[in-house]
Amino acid sequence: MPRRLATAGFILTACVSWLVFAADAMRSLSEAEVRQILQHGPWPVAVPRDPSNRVSGNVEAVDMGARLFFDPRLSVQGGISCGTCHVPERSWTDGQKRGVALATVDRNTPSVLNQRLNRWYGLDGANDNLWSQSIRPILDERELGSSARHVAQLVRDDRDYACRYEKAFGRRPPQDDEALLVDVSKALAAYQETIVSGRTAFDDFRDALERGDQDAAGRYPVEALRGLKIFVGKGNCTICHVGPNFTNGEFHDIGVPFFLAMGKVDAGRYEGVKKLQDSKFNLLGPYNDDTARSTATSTQHVTREQRNFGEFKVPSLRNVALTAPYMHNGHYASLREVVHHYSELNEERLHADGERILKPLNLTEREAADLVSFLESLTDRDTRWRSRAPLEGPACN
Amino acid sequence: MKLSGALSWTLLWLFAGAAQACVADLPGATAKKLESARYGLAYRTQPEKISVGKHFAVELALCADQGAALPESVKVDAHMPEHRHGMNYKTSVSALPGGRFRAEGLMFHMAGRWEFVFEVRAAGKTDRLTQSILVE
Repeated sequence: MPRRLATAGFILTACVSWLVFAADAMRSLSEAEVRQILQHGPWPVAVPRDPSNRVSGNVEAVDMGARLFFDPRLSVQGGISCGTCHVPERSWTDGQKRGVALATVDRNTPSVLNQRLNRWYGLDGANDNLWSQSIRPILDERELGSSARHVAQLVRDDRDYACRYEKAFGRRPPQDDEALLVDVSKALAAYQETIVSGRTAFDDFRDALERGDQDAAGRYPVEALRGLKIFVGKGNCTICHVGPNFTNGEFHDIGVPFFLAMGKVDAGRYEGVKKLQDSKFNLLGPYNDDTARSTATSTQHVTREQRNFGEFKVPSLRNVALTAPYMHNGHYASLREVVHHYSELNEERLHADGERILKPLNLTEREAADLVSFLESLTDRDTRWRSRAPLEGPACN
Repeated sequence: MKLSGALSWTLLWLFAGAAQACVADLPGATAKKLESARYGLAYRTQPEKISVGKHFAVELALCADQGAALPESVKVDAHMPEHRHGMNYKTSVSALPGGRFRAEGLMFHMAGRWEFVFEVRAAGKTDRLTQSILVE
């Protein structure tokens, strides 16, 4: 009897403690913190089809794009596909410091997750749409090393691709190699638009906060909550990692070295703007399917300034725990190292005319660990979005 | 008596001048108003609420005080004083009928305090009108 009483007492104490914690989790947040937290959702975000791509959202194009994405015949020498570096099981990246295809490239491979939310593509934002971004690695001699002629011939000569092209685009593959390359890239983009991550522990907490559900909010790990308070508070992280996708989609210099080989530097956004403006595949060019140019505002108004030198795109933090190594060149192996970068920021590495609010955060070890816990809570543990599209099936006819 | 007469004329001129400071007219309750030595300016953003990382436009109306030259050009810009940088985008301003202008392509890419800067150029001089805004 006493033992039963003791057990019941223990359970009661545990329940009361949990309820107190659940209530504390919400009470511990100021109004400003709650406002900051709520702006990171809800998730997922409803995104309209891309008007610059006439096959955006087209299931036939998605299917064709999935096949192309994993097809090594897109590369001239064979053996390299988009999926060589964007490995689904590795959260659509490759785990390497710098990407390796036909040769090693200068930058870390970004994930292709949640791409449709981007304004700029690539770490330097050299492309303003997903289909032109898909052309870039196909033609880069260090990546697929291919050509418009090679890609066009593959689609024209392969009966299955030619059939799928006709279903997706409503016409036979054209003889114009460049036009066909662009259409291939639009099918690739249509497929990549479907690679979207699901909900996370943070999303559940954020939504519980919004509806005032103390029980649900209390399930969020206390370490992650402490880290979240740093994220929206003294860390000032939300200044750049803003919104449901945890990025403002723009470019910043955060003091990560951008030297390449001896005497070479990665100019980042500075060169990215130039490449964008020189590209015939940008949204102001002839291949934009949207005659109103309704999504071209950024391209029309973007400027190239000296301070863009060494700036790189602010990455989304969704599933960041699964995409090591970090920074534009894979400089840091773990989230812990990234947090330490900001904690012990070397201000001398920042541009003289760059961001003035970046200061060392001087986090304690526990604060650093809490911040990492928060970042880990942005992980979607469901593996469905980290699997290859089923490419088997009847041939097209 | 003579001094008193001069003073009266001076006061009359001052008050008359003050009374003739123009008021820029932009319909709607959301317009904000600014003044410089020569011009009155009213502006509003479209959409009204500025979201971080989203493009917006500024519609503005200008009026010239009595005797001031008519505006020759208008520039619209914004910057973050504490961060010491501006926007990543250059606005384009087009003139509309009735002394109105529309600036396109603005984007506040970070949360924090921004400052709008309106530069009105006329007769070899530039009037600079500014206003702070906090973006969350």
